[in-house]
Amino acid sequence: MSISADELAAIRASFQRLLAERGTEADVRRAIASPEGYDAALWRGIGDLGLAGLIAPVADGGAGGGAVELELLMEDAGAALLCAPFLSSVVIAGGLVAGGDDAEDRARLLPRLISGAAVGAVALTGEAGLWTPQDITVRAAEGRLTGVASYVLFGAQADVLLAAAWDAEGPAVYEVAAGATGLTITPLKTFDLTQPMAKIAFEGVEARRIAGPEALARTLDLGRIALAGEQAGAARRIFEITLDYLRTRVQFGRPIGGFQAMKHMAADLLIEVENATSAARHAASAVAQGAPNAQVMVNLAAFACADAFSQTAATAVQMHGGIAFTWDHPAHLYLRRARADARLFGASDLYRDRYLAALEAVDA
Amino acid sequence: MRDEDLIAEVRAFLNTHWDAKKKRPKAGGGAKEFRHRVLEAGFAVPSWTAEWFGRNLAADQARLIEREFAAVAAYGAGQDKTNLFANTILAAGTDALKREVLQGLLTSEIDSCLLYSEPGAGSDLAAVRTRADRTADGWVVQGQKVWTSGARTAQYALLLARTDWDVPKHQGLSFFYMPMKQPGVDVRPLHQITGDSHFNEVFLDGAVVPEANLLGNENGGWKVLQTALAYERLVMGEGAGERRQGSGKDNRKSLIQMARSAGRLGDPVLRQKIAQALAYRQLNDLNLARAKAEMAQGTASPIMSLGKLAMSRILHGDAAVMADILGAASLLDGEENPESADMNYRALNAYMTSIGGGTDQIQRNIIAERVLGLPREIEVDRDLPFRDSRAVKG
Ligand SMILES: Cc1cc2nc3c(=O)[nH]c(=O)nc-3n(C[C@H](O)[C@H](O)[C@H](O)COP(=O)(O)OP(=O)(O)OC[C@H]3O[C@@H](n4cnc5c(N)ncnc54)[C@H](O)[C@@H]3O)c2cc1C
Repeated sequence: MSISADELAAIRASFQRLLAERGTEADVRRAIASPEGYDAALWRGIGDLGLAGLIAPVADGGAGGGAVELELLMEDAGAALLCAPFLSSVVIAGGLVAGGDDAEDRARLLPRLISGAAVGAVALTGEAGLWTPQDITVRAAEGRLTGVASYVLFGAQADVLLAAAWDAEGPAVYEVAAGATGLTITPLKTFDLTQPMAKIAFEGVEARRIAGPEALARTLDLGRIALAGEQAGAARRIFEITLDYLRTRVQFGRPIGGFQAMKHMAADLLIEVENATSAARHAASAVAQGAPNAQVMVNLAAFACADAFSQTAATAVQMHGGIAFTWDHPAHLYLRRARADARLFGASDLYRDRYLAALEAVDA
Repeated sequence: MRDEDLIAEVRAFLNTHWDAKKKRPKAGGGAKEFRHRVLEAGFAVPSWTAEWFGRNLAADQARLIEREFAAVAAYGAGQDKTNLFANTILAAGTDALKREVLQGLLTSEIDSCLLYSEPGAGSDLAAVRTRADRTADGWVVQGQKVWTSGARTAQYALLLARTDWDVPKHQGLSFFYMPMKQPGVDVRPLHQITGDSHFNEVFLDGAVVPEANLLGNENGGWKVLQTALAYERLVMGEGAGERRQGSGKDNRKSLIQMARSAGRLGDPVLRQKIAQALAYRQLNDLNLARAKAEMAQGTASPIMSLGKLAMSRILHGDAAVMADILGAASLLDGEENPESADMNYRALNAYMTSIGGGTDQIQRNIIAERVLGLPREIEVDRDLPFRDSRAVKG
């Protein structure tokens, strides 16, 4: 690892400062109403801080960070409901390109991704939206892709567009030019307002193989850890927002946080929030250390963090009462993100099953 | 001392005295002798001072010792964290009392019980009516306790009693370490829902507590009780309620193996339930590990107070999944149906963790108030002289 604890603290502080200044709720609301569908100014700020190169190898011009650094920054990103293609471009697209085997591809694509000049997107799943290898319906043959992918984060905004596609080796990763012939990109109307998605149809689109199945699997693990960190951070923030309200909203002559029903809901949520933080951080360090139980931990974090964020955001609305039913209150923004995050990369049921399978391997 | 040297020392000790394969002291040494050796080596309570069996180690180094012991399933270490009696007495006991009992507590030669709950004071412990009056021969105790686990074998008890009736309820309590084997103590077993009889009624009629066995200040008992309760909740959060009472043995079961031998590990619905049950347990372990890491760095960790509530969900949940694995066989019981009997026992015994040591509801109140800083519960008798409260007047 090439980032020291002090450097990490400094990086994190600069990211938090950026988010405090330019990633406020007002910025989020402006971003979701913008034609780009994300916060282009904030994304440039991320690039200026060098954060788009966080996990790219030092040799390729990145900061050389790993799962642990990524997870921590994603907690901050989640707390602020980051409206920028960090997960899509930095983690998944950047991870795949850096993990690819061709030095020329890396030299061509990575500098633009690392600087934040380009937005990267990766088509990972088919129209069923299961995020399993079987669900990838795009096929590669003779350098061309055919099939349909959907739920592609930042698919319509992408400058660097990659797609998972089956070839002789299994699910591999291909690059297509953003305006290539045979490519139809349809922006999707999404419930979550903070992360744009698109459906992408490939009809014999010329493509270049970037990375194989192993790099894809590795990068997806990193993506799951990043998402888990985002969920942990977002769950904690909406929980804190709720606690503030419990302390200040007065009914029946006292703060509503004095009512036992509220206190008990809050205590139960605290367990969820702490569970999420522990799961995300332990998964990150297990992967960073190449621990034998890394798969157990990644799968655990995938559903524990998803469930924790979903439950916290959903309960937060109830705990606020009518105010949270208004568009102007932030609770629904978290609820929407929670519901999207809980499906992204596969639903909790899938990961519970995989977690058990990983444990079975240990408990034979 | 460097970590490596400490680890080497602990390993050498264990190599000499502990049979890691058979999980017992090496030939020639009994459990008692082993515990004495652990104590002499300073491993029982490493963070305590040398005056009281410790080595002045910082929390993170103390945990290293624990980890080495845990790796070979040896006992006796880490009691600076888990032994609620020894820790409470170290914190609040007189030197005379410490000299009398600490060693015995740390070698498990002294058994103790908790005389807190009464018929009229459970969750509301500050409402106890057992009284202790100071006399020339020590404190004389009068009253009735209930649900006292392990009272029959205990040589001592942590006793909560009222020493001033004219002040509000929390302010008139004192905390004692009372000898149990004396004429004024009458212990009567109660039959539990599990079929066991571990807990008891204890009638106190003129029992005497020596002056040196007062813990903390007269009328300062509530504060000392909080220390003891914190240790109790801590160990319950790590699954103490899962062991059979009185045994240090961890008897957790592999849900995976159970389902596999029932031929049901492929059932997708069951798989979800098993995975979730295992996840809750693993998440609690991860939380506790993070809390310990934070505490080793010197910051207090709020996560530590979540363990007991989390564990209660884990134990109830595990038993429910076991019943699902067993299917209709879960209707059966008794020696001829050992798997069902075990599951049934767990389903009932889980209440020990969700009721004993403060119910789940009380734990939620505590987390909300002390960790999250939400307003306190309204307590209508909080400021009344105890004598005038409903606990006395009815
Ligand atoms: C297996 C077992 C072992 C035990 N061992 C011991 C022991 O060794 N020594 C000892 O002293 N005690 C022991 N206890 C007693 C235990 O601490 C008490 O049972 C417990 O604190 C609850 O008190 P209670 O039974 O009087 O219930 P109550 O306090 O009467 O509670 C009844 C119900 O009301 C709820 N309730 C009460 N107050 C509130 C509130 N403020 N807010 C919300 N809900 C509330 C409770 O959650 C519960 O559901 C043991 C109990 C069990 C089950």
